[in-house]
Formats: sequence, structure tokens, C-alpha cells
Amino acid sequence: MNSAFDDPAFWHRLQFAFTVTYHYLFPQLTMGLAWFLVYWKWRALRTGDERYNAAVRFWARIFGLNFGIGVVTGIPMEFQFGTNWAAFSRYSGGVIGQTLAMEGMFAFFLESAFIGALIWGEKRLGPRNHFIAAIGVALGSWLSGYFILVTNAFMQHPVGYAITPDGSLGLTDISAFLSNHWAWIQFAHNQSAALVTGSFAITALGAFYRLRGSHLDQASLYLRCGTAVGLAASLLVAFPTGDQQAKMVARHQPVALAAMEGRFHGGSMADISVLGQPNVKMQRLDNPIQIPGGLSFLANGTFESNVHGLDEFPESDWPDNIELLYYAFHLMVTLGMLFIGLMALANLQRLRGKLETSAWLLWPLMLAFPFPYIANTLGWMTTELGRQPWLIYGLFRTSEGYSRVVSNGDVIFTLIGFCGLYFVLGLLFLYLVGREIYHGPHEEAHD
Amino acid sequence: MIELWYALMALMLTVYVVLDGRNFGAGVLHLFVAKTPAERRQVVAAIGPLWSWHEVWLVSFGGVLFVAFPRLLAASFSGYYLALFLILWCFVLRGMALEVGGHVNDRMWHSFWDVVFAVASVLLAILFGVALGDLARGVPVDLNGNFSMAFFTNFGVRGNVGLLDWYTVSMGVVVLVFLTAHGATYLTLKTEGPVHDRCAIIARRLWIIMPALFAVISLETLVVRPALAWEMAGNPVAWLGILVFLAGAIAVFTGLRGRLERRAFIGSGTMIVGLLATGAATIFPVILYSTLAPENSLTAYNTAASLSSLELALVWWPFAFGLTCAYFWFISRLYTGKVKVTEDTEGSY
Repeated sequence: MNSAFDDPAFWHRLQFAFTVTYHYLFPQLTMGLAWFLVYWKWRALRTGDERYNAAVRFWARIFGLNFGIGVVTGIPMEFQFGTNWAAFSRYSGGVIGQTLAMEGMFAFFLESAFIGALIWGEKRLGPRNHFIAAIGVALGSWLSGYFILVTNAFMQHPVGYAITPDGSLGLTDISAFLSNHWAWIQFAHNQSAALVTGSFAITALGAFYRLRGSHLDQASLYLRCGTAVGLAASLLVAFPTGDQQAKMVARHQPVALAAMEGRFHGGSMADISVLGQPNVKMQRLDNPIQIPGGLSFLANGTFESNVHGLDEFPESDWPDNIELLYYAFHLMVTLGMLFIGLMALANLQRLRGKLETSAWLLWPLMLAFPFPYIANTLGWMTTELGRQPWLIYGLFRTSEGYSRVVSNGDVIFTLIGFCGLYFVLGLLFLYLVGREIYHGPHEEAHD
Repeated sequence: MIELWYALMALMLTVYVVLDGRNFGAGVLHLFVAKTPAERRQVVAAIGPLWSWHEVWLVSFGGVLFVAFPRLLAASFSGYYLALFLILWCFVLRGMALEVGGHVNDRMWHSFWDVVFAVASVLLAILFGVALGDLARGVPVDLNGNFSMAFFTNFGVRGNVGLLDWYTVSMGVVVLVFLTAHGATYLTLKTEGPVHDRCAIIARRLWIIMPALFAVISLETLVVRPALAWEMAGNPVAWLGILVFLAGAIAVFTGLRGRLERRAFIGSGTMIVGLLATGAATIFPVILYSTLAPENSLTAYNTAASLSSLELALVWWPFAFGLTCAYFWFISRLYTGKVKVTEDTEGSY
């Protein structure tokens, strides 16, 4: 018997993928909410309108719950570099250890120093310092995202390193490493997507309170801010950030782009596939509906240009799960288009002054909030599956990276442990957030 | 450069133990010193708002270990695989207990999370002690610089050792008592009312038995790895660490007698600093000693990252550390003074 289940790399990857996917459900909301809190706190300072303070108070509690679970599920991520990916850590620690250490020292200290003050310190701090605490938390959460994306960007497109005499990687150019253009484009794309999650959550709660007929003042504030930012963020995710991301993949990982698009044969005038099923065995796309020249245009800016196909690369360099990669990418794009459509409609109704009375629209707005989480997850699946079979693109293969001394049984044991623990965490989180939503925004500040 | 990074890494671990050690101590104690739900919330409030800030020191220590000694991180984390996941899950549970324990105003909800907090704290304190014991004893590092250990083998301290043996377990107990005393001293400083009085009594009792425990564990260490005594005798930094440790002990002693709570707490923090400094200086440059063959040992020199990586990390590290000190100043101003018992504790720490 020789299946994926015997391959240690399979279990290490599954555990890392599971724990990181679960973890990222929480930071994407905190990063998406952070600047709303800053904006509302600023409006409260400027206008003295208590509605803004009540909104900050309420969402800071939701933020706090997400932050808490983000912290406790984030620490295992850092540990797993050493426990599960020891060979990779040994090889690249001198480089990627930099940004992981920086994340702790620049971002986490900032965020965790101010989070308590933001949630519990409104009276003690006074409005101005409370505003500063909100900025500290927002900066901390976005800086943390930046350092993680620099780390990921190095794995996607390594720069600023040299191979040392003992065969491992050493950092030689820190500014090239930190200003990796892959990191900046991915940061822009990812942070816009986090804003989509945040604005959809705020919109959904506004729609919920409006439909229930409770907390109406807060509901209209949430609907107004949520839909305005929701549309802007949904557009930004697609253009320019998503477009730039795709061009970057075309330039640096052409084999990944070919797999994302189910493009088995290269050539000019590349079609973009709207629908279709990749058939890896027969090396073709079944039942395709394609836009002629679309992929050439998106990847290179002209309809006639050449786009590589999978057949131009050795099969050992192909991403190892082309089907999953293809569907993840296509579903993400489809969801992104739907977000733009839904938010455009919501803004249209808002400008006509009819949003709050359009129950037919409030229902989908309320029920839409899980989908940005799905789209974010699909986006990360696209990025990470597209990087395969490499751990560090072109330098180090995933199959070389895992810990040799850890047995499959050990990993299966801890994976099951994580499943159980995270199931309980998820229940707890839903219960506590549900309670907050049930109680609703308070009018008074906490001691 | 390698020596400097070794010192910085030891510094960050020390800061972490001083800061979070008191939270472990408080967690171990709170079922005994706080008799009513309101008093328990008072204990949690004394440590609550900053637990994640303290835990970031551990995360940053891990980051510095990663960047400066990647081969050490790789060997030790994969070698301690199951033990580390136990520690991680305890951290998850402790964090949840602190974070959500106060969210619902319900007796059973409070009781449940109070017990979770206590059990996770006890386990974490013991596991950290065991880890410290493993550092002193050594682990079965093989020719390739890897090791993998069972939880226990024959409870002996030589050759094919496990995570637990008579030495590492007794180190776990000593660290548990030490951190509990540290936590009791902190709670004496930070609380008032009945919790304060009970903590003061417990702190005094625990500190009285500490000298005996230190003497026993020092003797045990001599038996387990006699060479360490010679290393220490010839190392001026180790002597300095011992002086710091003794100064801290005097501060604890006089602080407890004179009811100078701040002095006692600073003293117990100083003792931790002295102890870890002595330990770090004594074992240097060996970090993970091999019980199979001394030449397999992982040292600071054979596990460090390339010189350019270390130099570049030194560009940003002082800046980050400075910022961290600034936050520390900000939050310690925010949370000064004693924590009272309050009736309405819903949602707050």
C-alpha cells in the first residue's frame, strides 16, 4: 500500500493547513474591524455623538473575543515551524525567523498592550487616549499581517538571501527582503479582503437589528458604514490588487497560473475559463466556457500575448493538486464578483434612502457574512496550493521540509487533538458572540 | 555576535518567566486564597488585562530563537514534539479561562473556568520545570543533531533518557513551588482584603521552604551532571548571577518581614533573574547537552544562523526592544494600584 496516508508530508501539511485556516478566521475579522473602530472613535471625538461611542464599545467586545481566540490559535502556528517543519526551519530560519521575531516584537506587543485599554479602559483613559488605544490596536493588527505576508512572500518569491557555506539560507539584504514587491501586492490584496470580511460582518449585524426592529440607531449606522466600506473594499480586492496579484503569479509562477486556469497547453491568445472542469488525466478542460484571449489580457495586458501551459513545464514542478487549486481560485473569483454586485445594489438603495426598508435586500445582506470568510480561505488555498511542490519557490521542496524525527502517529494524534480543542473553542466563541449580539450595544461606558 | 544573541535570548526568556511566572503562581493559588467567586475574579483582575502581553514575551523569545539559532529550534521543537503540544494546549486553555471566564455572570461558569485556570497553571509550571531539568540533564542528541524522546524510559538520568525522570520531575516540583511563591508575593502586592491576607501567609510559608528545595535541587544537579560545578566555578557571569540571586533573596526576606510588599516582589523577580542568568552562563556554549555522546551536543556555535543574518537582526532588535519598553511604561501606568473586590464583575477582568 502506498497512498498519501503513508506520506509523512501529507499529515504535516494537513495539520498545518487545518490549524492555519482555523486561525485565520479570527485575525481577518480583527484586521477588518480595526479601522472601523478608529473611524468611529474619531467621529465621536469630533462630533460628540454618543452613537459612535456605543458602536465602538460594542464592536470592541466582538473584537476582543476574536483577538483572544486569534492569540490562542496563533501561538501553535509559530510553534509548528519547529515541531512539524524542522528541516525547513533549519534551512531558512536565518531569514524567515526575522519576520516572525519582528511580528512578536513590533506587532504583538503593540496590539496586546492596547487591547485591554481599548475594551475596558474607556473611562479610565478619557476619550483622547481611548482613541490612541484604538489606533495602537489597529496598527498592531495590520503590522502583524504585514510581517506574516513578508514571510509568505519570501516563500513565494525569495529575495535578499544568500546560501551559506553549510547549505542553509542567510539574510543578506534586509531592505530587499522587507520590500519584496510580492509582499506589498499580496498585503494590499489580503488587507482589502480582510476589510470585506469586516464590513460584511458590520452590515450583517445592522441588517439583523433592522429586521428584528431593535437597536435601530445602531443598525442604521452599521448599515451605512458597512455597505459604503463593503463596496469600496470589494472593488479593491478585484482591482487593482487582485489583478496585480494575478499578473505577479503569471510573471513569477507561470506554472501555478496555468494550473489555476486549467491551462494544459501553452500558446498565444490564451482563453480565460469561466466554467469547466480540469481533467488532469486527459490533460484538458472538460465542458469549458471561455472568453477568447481573456487570460492573455489579464496576465500580460494584450490579447495576443503568450501564456504558458502546464505542458511547458516538467511534471515534477506542477502543483500537486491541480483540481483543488483550480476550483479554489475560480470560486474565490466568483464570490468576489457576487460581493461587488450585492454591495453595489445595497449602496444604490442606500443612496435612494430605501436600504433600511428593503427587507428583500436586508435578508441577503444579513446572510452574506460567512461568504467573505470562505472567499478569504479560498484565496489562501490558491496561494499556498499554487506554491506547491515548493516550500520556498524554486529553492526548497515541501517533501524535504518536515520533521524527520516525528512519526505519522504523533502528527495524527496532535491533529485529532487540535480538531477536538478547536471544536470546543468554536462552540465557545459562537456562544459568547451570540450573547453579545443578543444583549446588543450598551449606551454606557464600562468602568 | 553569537554570544550576544545567546545573551539576548536568555534575557527575553528571563523577562517572560518573571512576568508570566506570577500568573502561573496566581493560577495555582487562586482556588486556595480566594474563597468566593468575587474574590476569584479579583485575583484574575490582578493579572488579567496583561496576560496576553506577558505571553508575547514567550512568542518573541521563540522568534529570536528561530532567527538566531534555527538548528536549535528545529532539533528541540521536533524532539519535544508531544510535550510541546501538551504545553500549547495548556496555554490555549489558560488563555481561554482568563479571556472568557468573566464573560458570563454565572456561578458554574466561573467555577468551571477557575478550575481550568488552576489545572493549566499547575501543569504549565511543572512542564516548564521539567524543560529546565532537561536542559541541565541533557537529552539523547544523535550524530545528526536530532533527538526524539519518550515521555519516560527507566526514570534514570543517563543514556537513553525520557522527558520525565527523578531529576526532571523534582525540578518540576521546585519550579512549581518557586513560581507559586512568586505569584503569592505578587498577589500580596496587588490585592487587598482577605485575599491579600491569605496570600501574605502563604508567601511567607513557601519562601521558608524554598532554601531547602534549592539546596536539594543543587545537590541533585551535582549528581546528574557533575561537570557543571566546574563550569560554574570558573565562570564570572555565573558568580554574578548568584550574587543577584542572593540579593533578591535578601530583598524577599526583609520585604516580607517589614511588610514592604513592593520590595518583596522585586526581590522574588530578582531571584528568578539571578537563577536563570547563572544557569544560562554555566551551560554556555552548550545548550542541549547530549546524554549519548558529549560531542553530539548542540551548542550556541553549531546551531547559530549565518553571521549576516545575526548582524541584520541586530539592526532592528534594539529599536523593537525600545518600543516594547515604552509600551511597558504606558501599561504599568494604566494598571497601578491595588485591585479591590467588586460585586459586578460581568464581562470585566
